Amino acid sequence: MNQFTVLARKELVQMVREMKVVWLPIVFILLGITQPIMNYYLPSILEMLGGGQGISIDLSLVTQTGGEVLASTLGSQFDQLGVIIIIVSMMGIVQSDKANGMLAFILTRPVRVSSYIGGKIFSHYLFIACSVTFGYIASYLYTYILFTEVPLTDLIVAFLFYLLWVLFIVSFTTMMSTIFNSQGIIALISIVFLLGCRVIVGLNPILDHINPASMSTYAMEILISGTWSVNVIWNIMITLILSALAINVSNIWITGKKYRVN
Amino acid sequence: MGSEVRNKKCCQVVLKKTAVHHFSMEIDSGECVALAGPNGAGKSTLIKLIADMMNPDIGEVLLNGKKISKMKKEIGYLPQYPNFFPWMTAKETLTFMGQLSGIRKDKLVGAIPEVVSKVGLSGEENSKVGTFSGGMKQRLGIAQALLHKPSLILMDEPVSSLDPIGRREVLNIINEIKEETTVLLSTHILSDAEEVCERFVIIKNGEKMEDTTMMELLRKNNKNKLHFKITENGKCWERKIEKLDYVKGVELSGNSVKVEVNDVGLNKNMLLEHALENNVNLVKFEIDNESLEEIFLKLVVEK
Repeated sequence: MNQFTVLARKELVQMVREMKVVWLPIVFILLGITQPIMNYYLPSILEMLGGGQGISIDLSLVTQTGGEVLASTLGSQFDQLGVIIIIVSMMGIVQSDKANGMLAFILTRPVRVSSYIGGKIFSHYLFIACSVTFGYIASYLYTYILFTEVPLTDLIVAFLFYLLWVLFIVSFTTMMSTIFNSQGIIALISIVFLLGCRVIVGLNPILDHINPASMSTYAMEILISGTWSVNVIWNIMITLILSALAINVSNIWITGKKYRVN
Repeated sequence: MGSEVRNKKCCQVVLKKTAVHHFSMEIDSGECVALAGPNGAGKSTLIKLIADMMNPDIGEVLLNGKKISKMKKEIGYLPQYPNFFPWMTAKETLTFMGQLSGIRKDKLVGAIPEVVSKVGLSGEENSKVGTFSGGMKQRLGIAQALLHKPSLILMDEPVSSLDPIGRREVLNIINEIKEETTVLLSTHILSDAEEVCERFVIIKNGEKMEDTTMMELLRKNNKNKLHFKITENGKCWERKIEKLDYVKGVELSGNSVKVEVNDVGLNKNMLLEHALENNVNLVKFEIDNESLEEIFLKLVVEK
């Protein structure tokens, strides 16, 4: 068994022992079902509250398709609270190993830094992708029951696009965790930068091309309209390249021993 | 800098760093070397440089003539404060560390109980490391350093943080393992090092002060001193002996008198007779050998 598998398996065992494997999927499932339930009951809540004051609700305006509801799960639940939770759950990914000396300790063994970083990224991405998948499936089930169904291919393609954006989130947070020593700084920079990326989508077409967060809007587009522009290939490439770049920076940073052991 | 290469038997270290300057030393295989120095002397830095946890600005660390970064399988490293994943059991920790060193799992099955019993952790294999005491963690640290049968074991302050019992146990373990491998350990307590190591390298402010054996260190610092302990009524005696021609100096502190003479062998009886003639009430008389601790203090404080 090579070092990569040993390290990746250690990460997965750690997630099980620290109960992360329980709470992160639950959080995403809760986030996922929030949007369809809220959308479904909002008209009746508004009607109840507003009825006495003579405001009429045109139900045809509020009725949404399943795709729209699922898109807003991605856009307003996963892309806001979801991203913050991902960052917070993995801000110590490398930082905690630096702080307690395990990183230096592991590297006194014949272990390549790329195996270390690779094992981290692989295991955490695998786990976070699974958690997000659970949330997405839960959201779809509620959407299907309360609204309309969504074509299966749209459902899958949109989610694959979304997972690319998640890959960038994981890589970027790992890079921050490698470079900085304070969890607060890591979380702050990651949250500001990644939410910032998400917010500026749509402001400038050129910026959108190099913005990994565009993957999230492409996913929403598919869910709402069932189509996607050709530009998406370009964005897939850019997102993959930026993720690889972030992973590489972590790799170089540790290989150059620029980390400080406190 | 360091072209002091004499022979390349086992390890050879030629380093320079801000915490460690122009440091060069060689260790032959089978040796047990203590790196002694006050806090902040650069001991840990030096050990980390040798373990390839830091890169030296200038110079290199060679093991059997090869760069240390290519020889990591041959190094066992015990950190100053061994910190393991608290959620792992002792056995899992050793399996994890062993696999990282490239040992196959089926070989580990046999190797782990062996090292565990060597360091005296039998029966604790399946306890969580988080519940371990400092001494047990230290022993687990030694176990992981031994597991892959390295040719060089580096120990950073292996006994400094332990109580007298734990210290005793760990020193016994080191005594055992030094029979099989080369050991380099750092310490600021010379009496510990004295028990396990033949060779001392004393460093201060990152520079080598002394590279010597214990016997040589004691011999070099033997100062021809005699030590008297007397009672109150002999207090004026020390003024008399100051005038004797073979007495080079007298040091008085409380009831003890330290007399430096030309030649201990010749002068000790003369001085004793002189004391008896003067009715000095002797409590204790000895030839004063400075302890390693005192020599160490003198070396690192005075120079």
